[in-house]
Amino acid sequence: MNMNKPVITAASQISSIGAGVDCLAANLGAAPRMGSAGKYDFHEFSEPIPCFKADTFDPEQVLGKKGLRTKDWATKLLLATMELGFKAQFEASSQDDKPGICVGTAFGSVQSIGDFLSDSIVNGVNAVNPQAFANTVINSPTGNANIRYESRTLSTTVSTGFNAGADALIYACDYIRRGYLNRIVAGGLEEISYYALLGMLRSGVLSPTSRILPFGTLADGFVAGEGCAMFMVESAESAAAGSRTPLAEISGYASAFEPSTFAGKFCGESARHCMKAACDDAGIRPADVGFIASGANGIRNADAMEAQAIRDVFGDTPVTAYKARFGECYGASAPLSVACALADMNAGRITGVPEGYETIDALNCVRGTAAWKRGGFVMVNSFSCDGNCTTIVIKDIHEAAYNRQHTKLQSY
Amino acid sequence: MTEIRTVITGLGIVSPIGTGVEAFWNAAVKGTCGVRPLTCIDTTDFKTKTGGEVRDFDAAAYIAPEKIKTMGRSSQFAIAAAKMAVSQAGIEFTKENPYRVAVCIGTTMGEPQILEQGIKAKYTASSADAIPADLPRQYPCAVIPANVAREFGVRGPSVIIPTACAAGNYAIGYACDLIKLGRADVVIAGGSDPFSSIAFTGFNRLLATTDTVPRPFSKNRDGMAVSEGAGVLIIENMEHAKKRGANILAEILGYGIACDAYKMTIPDPSGSGGIRAMRQALRNASITPDAVDYINAHGTGTKENDKVETLIAKDVLGERVKSIAMSSTKSMIGHTMGAASAIEACACVLMLMHGIMLPTINYEEPDPECDIDCVPNSPREVNLNIVVSNAYAFAGNCSSLVLAKFTGS
Repeated sequence: MNMNKPVITAASQISSIGAGVDCLAANLGAAPRMGSAGKYDFHEFSEPIPCFKADTFDPEQVLGKKGLRTKDWATKLLLATMELGFKAQFEASSQDDKPGICVGTAFGSVQSIGDFLSDSIVNGVNAVNPQAFANTVINSPTGNANIRYESRTLSTTVSTGFNAGADALIYACDYIRRGYLNRIVAGGLEEISYYALLGMLRSGVLSPTSRILPFGTLADGFVAGEGCAMFMVESAESAAAGSRTPLAEISGYASAFEPSTFAGKFCGESARHCMKAACDDAGIRPADVGFIASGANGIRNADAMEAQAIRDVFGDTPVTAYKARFGECYGASAPLSVACALADMNAGRITGVPEGYETIDALNCVRGTAAWKRGGFVMVNSFSCDGNCTTIVIKDIHEAAYNRQHTKLQSY
Repeated sequence: MTEIRTVITGLGIVSPIGTGVEAFWNAAVKGTCGVRPLTCIDTTDFKTKTGGEVRDFDAAAYIAPEKIKTMGRSSQFAIAAAKMAVSQAGIEFTKENPYRVAVCIGTTMGEPQILEQGIKAKYTASSADAIPADLPRQYPCAVIPANVAREFGVRGPSVIIPTACAAGNYAIGYACDLIKLGRADVVIAGGSDPFSSIAFTGFNRLLATTDTVPRPFSKNRDGMAVSEGAGVLIIENMEHAKKRGANILAEILGYGIACDAYKMTIPDPSGSGGIRAMRQALRNASITPDAVDYINAHGTGTKENDKVETLIAKDVLGERVKSIAMSSTKSMIGHTMGAASAIEACACVLMLMHGIMLPTINYEEPDPECDIDCVPNSPREVNLNIVVSNAYAFAGNCSSLVLAKFTGS
């Protein structure tokens, strides 16, 4: 283990697959569990919209009743994920040593933002609940987490669209590398909201057949999802000092922007650069990457761009797309992919895309489940339709037993 | 290994007292108040009728007409301010490695007017079909740095940090880190926020807005003014700037960020987060409180903020606080949300360059709870070497930035 590289020492997630990392590991390969969104306080879809909802936990059971009344769904999702994974560490830390918090989200609490505005239109500006205003800032979920866990060391929100969660992980690594803090809980969060779903509908990115077929030759869009995945990211020294066993090392990362990608046009130049730069940062060759967790989501021209970029840089390296399992969760997607990769690494497997559809020929796309030799590197990609490209390289710490610290989670 | 130094080579400002660095500075030195009766929103049902609007902004002066309709006002502000800053920096991106040029912007609301436009269109037409198909993709705040990056054809990290009203400082701080970590040579950094009816409604409902003009640190202060604008700085690796012969305007010595972890909408009465942030900033800058010549206050004009900010300064600076001036730019431009600390960082650079401390205007009555030298009502000529700029926010976000006159040594 390189002591200069940040490591992940704990993980937590809530998604449509379930709550907790053990639940994720156990059910990752199961048939995706789809629900729907229909009626909201101020608006209603004429027909329910199929989506992957993270209604796999009871907020009151996880968080208790106190203080939840004014918290919106995005905040509850983040707090519950934090509670499942890191509560003990926050409680055991002194005031100056509490981990910081960094959350990536594309839309933040957009349901609260839109409802606040809708309320003011429908009922008048003097009828809106002033307490609801606090939920309208994009960093509201993060701030609520800082308050709940009395974390004063860092509260940051990153909002780079699809890439937000990956960029939040990078922000945390940069912050640690600069020596400002030793430990940061970082990851991504996204809620299913009326306003974001409506935007996706109007933009024509949702699959009309309600299927998500990453790299599929017949893909026709994505199915939206929601979820949250957070990780305890810390310096290797900090982990060693606290006797915390790393689950993985964050060996390298890179981010870039593709100016020519916009409004459905995709160019792979910056994506290629990003993946190569992440390998350089990790000090490895592309051939050292064991498998790639792509950002593919069923938007055909975007998937084709990523497939070609991967082909150009990595040749036949096995590729998967976890979004087939939990939907396009925007800012939470890349962290959820990291959580899936950790589960697969620990199990010595690659969970591929589901069987039953044809994928792009040029790619070594894993179907069903394949074996994977432990101890190597995994690359997680996030390439967005607005041009952001982010790649993270994580290294399996083979000698470490996977830390099954969330055994009670499956009961939720 | 010697740490990489980060310098500022260009500034861009869009504000209620002027668009353009010169217009802003001339108005600020005169103590111009940009908080006036609002024209961009029907204030009939609101207690507050005033705010800060950018009335002289012409997007077409900075952005091609066919592009203007593809982006919101926040992106337009950010691009305009970035173009001013790039022009002043004299940097030609065609001569740079595009992957070494990053964009890092802070914001509170992102592109709220896009969401407002969409929801109002739906209510007006009673149908979601009335929402233009190309509107939704203009909303996520990631489009703001993306639009800036696209305008200049740069390919480095494109980041937006929406940490509410401290976002500009967060973005500037992260820009410095990107350079110091060797991830970028140049960062187009700052903050942008357009006038938001959501913010205006919310602050009204919280009874946090003034009926007239903001009077920071004055005993009769009665609230802040919701405003809009953008501030952008070109931040460079000092060696990179020197190599291309750039005119270096100032240096960023360090920054600090922290969190109150107290309440979402009001500061910790003990100032815990602000104290932690300012101490961290001084430590990061490798200076002691004795070296600080001036503080650009968050200074919103609310009872609580100004009182707590005074406590913070006293706690961190001790006796030194009696000889340090601390003024509020927001007394002139109102509270431009996520843009505020970026505009204020630009103002600090201009103060360092001109040797003038900008005033706190509208100051009427001393407040024992704010017993600081707030440079009341008139600017002051003084030699400034090191200044601190504070910014605080919803969710308890606290930040301090340390800027210095560039000496080259």
